[in-house]
Formats: sequence, structure tokens, C-alpha cells
Amino acid sequence: MTTMIVAIVALAVINFVFKAAGPAILADREFPPRVQLVIEAFSPALLAGLLVVELLGQHWELFDWTTLPGLLGAAVAWRLRAPQLVCIAVGVVVTVLTRLATTLT
Amino acid sequence: MDDEVPAGWRSGFRVGASLAAGAFALAVSFGAFATLHGWPPAAAIAMSVVVFSGSAQFALVTSMAGGAGLTTGLTAAALINTRFIPMAAASARDLRGSRWRRAVEGQAVVDGSWVSAQRPAGGLDREKMIGATLVQWPAWILGTAIGAIFVPSTRFIHTAGLDLIFPCFFLLLLLDALRSRPEHRRVAVAAVAIAALACLAVPPGVALLLCGVAASLGIPRPRRRTA
Repeated sequence: MTTMIVAIVALAVINFVFKAAGPAILADREFPPRVQLVIEAFSPALLAGLLVVELLGQHWELFDWTTLPGLLGAAVAWRLRAPQLVCIAVGVVVTVLTRLATTLT
Repeated sequence: MDDEVPAGWRSGFRVGASLAAGAFALAVSFGAFATLHGWPPAAAIAMSVVVFSGSAQFALVTSMAGGAGLTTGLTAAALINTRFIPMAAASARDLRGSRWRRAVEGQAVVDGSWVSAQRPAGGLDREKMIGATLVQWPAWILGTAIGAIFVPSTRFIHTAGLDLIFPCFFLLLLLDALRSRPEHRRVAVAAVAIAALACLAVPPGVALLLCGVAASLGIPRPRRRTA
């Protein structure tokens, strides 16, 4: 139990320092234009990465093709300008139905 | 409908609600996962309160359950969260107050909130990011508590399609981002390729960090002059 408490406290401190360092040290300083462009591009890069990592997991162990129709359904709903929560609901329903159909066949 | 991105606290709370749904589902699975790997429910919940980082928490529990020592477990978890260093640094100009206050506000940097708070013209919507994080934090703690105490099966989460919430949300955020900045398409494509390949060899947090390389494509290529 002591090891667990040490692990929790240490990880909390590490996490705090990681997030605090930049804002505390850099303050109002501006980045050079080229660096700023890279920072702005970091957002779509991270989002695309998060999407893939969530879908595949380490060694692709999480990959499940039944999520793909759900994501497609959510994308179609997005294209039709549906609100975000509706898009997610569409994705979940399509995935559940796909899994149900897979189980029945 | 226009493509204007809503801003401010209210927008943050609204985005946070969507993110919280995904965070809640993931937290339930984390709570159950930690308990099944020998962590008392109170310890799992405490971790979610003070750490509030899914990937790092999963990494720590996985490493320590796999026989790795404290140092190895912490190293894996820390490595996964190194992405927060440049993300928080990039937010520095848009946070307010003294160095200490900025350091505290920097704690609101979590993946979904940070990404959704990016302004199309550059910079970060401080209120939106903090608002989105404030909604997710209790959802993360509550989800962990429910998962740790009731330990629902991963089969249930799979059957109910709850595992789709997070990737679906990231897809929608990505589509929104590309709608407002189409020039970032090649960045996204490169990041997808990097993440897919990296997932085969390194932990997910490191794969995410490597995706940052794709951001270098955000610099416009110099145009060749024609005679």
C-alpha cells in the first residue's frame, strides 16, 4: 500500500510540473512565427494521433472493425451538421447494432 | 450555419459535457482495471483525483501489475505525459496572472480540452479550456469510483458501445479542426500514419508524442519561383 501511495503522489507531482513548467517560465513571451505554425499544427496532429491510438492501442490489440461503421455514422451525422452529442449517439448506436448483427450471424 | 467556433466558459462547459461522457466511460474501465490489478478502490479513486490523466494512470497500473518496480512504472507514466510539456508551453501566452497562477491554470491542459480550445486563427481560448476540464474532472473521478466499486466487465462496456465514445469524440474534433483549417489535412494524414506505425512498437503515450513530428508539416513549403 505504501508503494501505491508513493506512486500516486509522485505521478501527481510529475504531472503538475509538466503542465506548470511552460506557463510559469514562458509567461508572455512570443514564439517565432515558424514555431507558432508548428504549435498550431500540433492540435490536428495530436487529435489524429489520439483517434488512432484509441482505436488501435499498443500492438494494435484494441483494433475492432465494428467501431468503423460507428465512426462512419458519426462522420455522416457531422457532415449533416448534427450537434456533437447527437453525432456521438449515432456512432454508438451504429456500433451497437453492428456488434449485435455480428453476434447473430 | 457558419463555421464560427463558439468561445468562452459556456462553450467550454458544452464541449466538456461531451468529453466528460467519454472520460466517464474510460474512467469506469480504469477503476475496474485498477481494482482487478490489486489496487484498493480508495487508491484508484485518489489517483484519479490528483493525477487526472487516463493514459498515465493506465500505464502506471499496467507497469506495476506486470512486475515492474515503482521507478519503471513512474517512468512509463511520465513518458506518456511528456506531451503536456509542449502543450502547456504553447498555452502560456493565453493564461493569466502571476507565474504561480499560470502554473495552476496550466493544470487545465488535458488532451480534449486543449485541442477544442484552439482558436482557428491561432492561440488558445483560456475560458473554454478551463471550462471543459472543470466538467471532465468530476466525471473522471465519479467514473473511477463506480468502476472501482462495482467493477463492471469490459464485455458490458463493449456491448453497450461505450468504448466508441472517446475515439468518436476525437474524430469529431479533428473534422471540426480541418473544416476551419483545411491546410492541416496533410498534418492529420501524416499523424495517422505515424500513430498507426508507432502503436506497433511503442506505448500509446510515446506514439502520441511522435505524432508531434507531423506538426512540422504545418510550416508552408517555400514556393518555387517560375521564370
